[in-house]
Amino acid sequence: MPSVIRVFCGLASVVLLGWGLATIDDVSDARWLMTLGIAWLLLLLATYVPLSNMPQFSRSLIRIAIVFATVLAIVSVQLIRIQVVQQDAIAYRTAQTDDGDAIANPRVVLTPLENQRGEILDRDGVVIAATTEQDGNYYRSWPNPATSYIAGYHSPFLFGSSGLELSYADVLTGQAGNNPVTRLFNNLLHQPQQGSDISLTLDTGLQESAQSMLGDQNGAVVVVDVDTGDIIVMASSPNYDPNQLFTTSPTSNADAQAYWDTLVADPDAPLVTRANLGLYTPGSTFKTVTAAIAIELGYANPESVYTDDGQLVIDGRVLEGQNRPNVSQTQWTLREGIMWSLNIVLAQVGLQIGGGEFWNMAQRFGFGRDIPFDLPVSESQLASDQSFLDSSNAVADTGFGQGEIQVSPLHMAMITAGVANDGVIMQPRLVDQIVSPNGSATDVPPSETWLTPMSPETAGQVEAMMVHTVNAGSVQAAQAPGYVVGGKTGTAETGVETPHAWFIGFIGPLDGESQYAVAVVLEFGGSGLTGPVSIGRDMLLQTMEAPQPSD
Amino acid sequence: MAYRYRPTFRATELGLLLFPGLTAIIGLAIILLVPRATLDWSWTELWTSLAFAGAVIVMSVTLGLRGFRGDQTILPLTAMIALIGMLMIQRLHPDLAARDPGFSTLAQRHLLYLGVGLAVMWLTVMLLGPLGLIRWLQRYRYLLILGATALQMSTFFLGTEVYGAKLWIEIGPIQIQPSEIVKLALVAFLASYLDENRDMLKSSWNVGPMKLPPIPYLIPMGVMWAMSLLTLVLLNDLGSALLFFGIFISMLYVATGGLVYVVVGLGSFAAACYGAWFAFDRVGIRVQNWLNPWQDPLVTGFQPVHSDYALASGGVFGVGLGYGSPAYIPAVETDYIFSAIGEELGLLGALAVIALYLFLVLRGFTIAIRARDGYIQLLAGGLSSIIGIQTVIILGGVTRAIPLTGITLPLISYGGSALITNFALAGMLLYVSGLPKRA
Repeated sequence: MPSVIRVFCGLASVVLLGWGLATIDDVSDARWLMTLGIAWLLLLLATYVPLSNMPQFSRSLIRIAIVFATVLAIVSVQLIRIQVVQQDAIAYRTAQTDDGDAIANPRVVLTPLENQRGEILDRDGVVIAATTEQDGNYYRSWPNPATSYIAGYHSPFLFGSSGLELSYADVLTGQAGNNPVTRLFNNLLHQPQQGSDISLTLDTGLQESAQSMLGDQNGAVVVVDVDTGDIIVMASSPNYDPNQLFTTSPTSNADAQAYWDTLVADPDAPLVTRANLGLYTPGSTFKTVTAAIAIELGYANPESVYTDDGQLVIDGRVLEGQNRPNVSQTQWTLREGIMWSLNIVLAQVGLQIGGGEFWNMAQRFGFGRDIPFDLPVSESQLASDQSFLDSSNAVADTGFGQGEIQVSPLHMAMITAGVANDGVIMQPRLVDQIVSPNGSATDVPPSETWLTPMSPETAGQVEAMMVHTVNAGSVQAAQAPGYVVGGKTGTAETGVETPHAWFIGFIGPLDGESQYAVAVVLEFGGSGLTGPVSIGRDMLLQTMEAPQPSD
Repeated sequence: MAYRYRPTFRATELGLLLFPGLTAIIGLAIILLVPRATLDWSWTELWTSLAFAGAVIVMSVTLGLRGFRGDQTILPLTAMIALIGMLMIQRLHPDLAARDPGFSTLAQRHLLYLGVGLAVMWLTVMLLGPLGLIRWLQRYRYLLILGATALQMSTFFLGTEVYGAKLWIEIGPIQIQPSEIVKLALVAFLASYLDENRDMLKSSWNVGPMKLPPIPYLIPMGVMWAMSLLTLVLLNDLGSALLFFGIFISMLYVATGGLVYVVVGLGSFAAACYGAWFAFDRVGIRVQNWLNPWQDPLVTGFQPVHSDYALASGGVFGVGLGYGSPAYIPAVETDYIFSAIGEELGLLGALAVIALYLFLVLRGFTIAIRARDGYIQLLAGGLSSIIGIQTVIILGGVTRAIPLTGITLPLISYGGSALITNFALAGMLLYVSGLPKRA
């Protein structure tokens, strides 16, 4: 056979195999076997060397030897496909029969239990997610129901992971955060990886307190340190027990599956932790944002006077004013509008700002943005689309916190913290430290500024108005003797049943800066003046009086 | 003459034997240390490795003292391959024994077979010449093939059925796999017959004006062909049938150089297999397992799926000797031992094993090409083909490049008959390499 053809066949065989390895994904694909077969035939042609001047026995023997060599070459290519190219696809492949029997690679299945997963601790070292050893296997448990769901579930055989168990998986399993030399040695010596511990900014005692105050009402409580962004409480109700989703073998998991099915079927959606994933209409709590935007843009100051005689007509629609403490008074300052939560005043402030600037300024407060956080957070919105704000009525509604605004409790707490922190919104921080197994490498994620939506002057004015609201306005129930407390309630009209009820607030010593901010929401909780205020006030007070972590 | 009775120093062989010798000691030490998780060990625990290294060195030295001047790579290659088998069986033993008490003496039995095998190889090289056995085999070829056929067929009446195939006959406490002995007899018979009749086979048979292949001379070939098919149909032993057929085709090709025999032979065998696919469920299942074992991963596809898991878990470098879980694969100690190698020694280890087989086969063909006498050429070519065909059948099957047909991986898989006959095979190859060569 001419050498040109042989070279061509050889190249074609290599190209064909390369193409097949690169493009045929399915691990059991007849097309791949056909590719392999054709490549082998091409290889046979490529190796059909001229042997004419040889005895016939030798010729035949050489030909047979070449055939063996080509077949073994093809087998080697098949090995490369199984062991390298499709390695993960094959090693992690699972299947389930109609009877519910499952098959999975036992090596992959056992690995999660062989590695010592790092623990998750609160700011005082109280265990949130524990790892215990038994017969060489490591089992995960979450001892405290008030904090367990913050860690998330970790169910290696069934449902994977969520929460911190997912977002910090590489640290907890020791894939990251360890000394690279230690990691290499562990791999070479086949030592199980020991994961790093992570300690949180969370306080178990305060979290328990928030949880018990929420009781069986659906809602959320978030407490944040305004200077650092540290999340001290992040309670959600309802929630779930990750212990019931953890199974120790790939086969006996009927209980876990049943529990999972219950969680998924529950109309209250317990897997959706409200504090970070819930989205609510903020109601009157948003009036603080409207006021801040107007002041920041120079349209108003706390002394600006607006008319509220109980009715406001916008484009033919009559807006009914409520909440006026004195129905004979028709002129109200912005401060009084906040203090008594006057919708007509804030509707006019909103109209002053106008849809376009409202949209732009809201982005500076974090609406329509991803919140950088250790857990996923639902994205807040001022409106589903900017064109919604083309209508004056929509802008007026938005001004007093209705319209299409959706905000997460965590985001509302961060905005409140920004008001109390001279206009600087810190990045929310949940993971305080990463401690490697031998304690040597400690990684502290820094406190970072997230947004600066307003000047310190604007923030100071809004802060003062919120303090007035508590001291002499509609939220006097939030007062805490010995401290300065500012706050604002909200009642989110949901269109049906009882509205969602909000409270946002902050606290500080009498002679100093505000230290902690809170956001509370109760689903269908009626008016913000009842439940949320007392929960928020108690949480702020307890946080102020709780012993500080010793570090 | 093969023997000049002038002692020689087989330096290349001794040097190459360092590899299996050292690998034996290091490998067994690793296998012992892994479950203990400490570095404490003593030389007394390594006696099997030391005995193995000692045995192969003694073989080399005694061959030299005897004045044997044959090939110096066959023994190191055979020793290295057999050693990998020994280490893998030693490593699998605790896992398998924990699962099934039937395996409680697996490693010991394998060591026994290994020892007997090495002795058989040594005796073959030392005694084949003085006893004139090679020529005896050549002369009494019909007796040989009749005996082989009888032995193979006796499995049908006396055999024990395992996995639906009749592979073994039991004689008292000993189990013999007749197909392993039959394969050597077949090669010897074909070498003798084809060498004597090769000119006739190349001629044509003139019946009147028609030119037909030399059918009268092909009748013994037809008997062979029938025997392969009977093995397939009656004993359900697809692997041996394929091996017999491969031997038949390749030796016919060596003798005649006629591609037409290859094409006709392969075609008829393929047709028989196609028929078997419909006739026997087992064959259909094998095709399904080849194309997609995931259609039924828990029952029929269980073995190939777990083999894939093992190979994929090994990756490039392997998880390390003793650190894998190959015991999940049914029949890992025989048909699927290559998956255990792939898991623990990785792609690199698996490719190294393939390379060792390729070297051994190519060396065997080199010996065949250099031999002076047509019978010896055919014999050496046939013996090398046995190693090549078995390797291709089982490695292709385990990696799902072709449908799996159960057959042992030569010198590595567990199994006394296979191990001992393959050592005898290597001994015969080594012996004929010492015969006078072509100028």
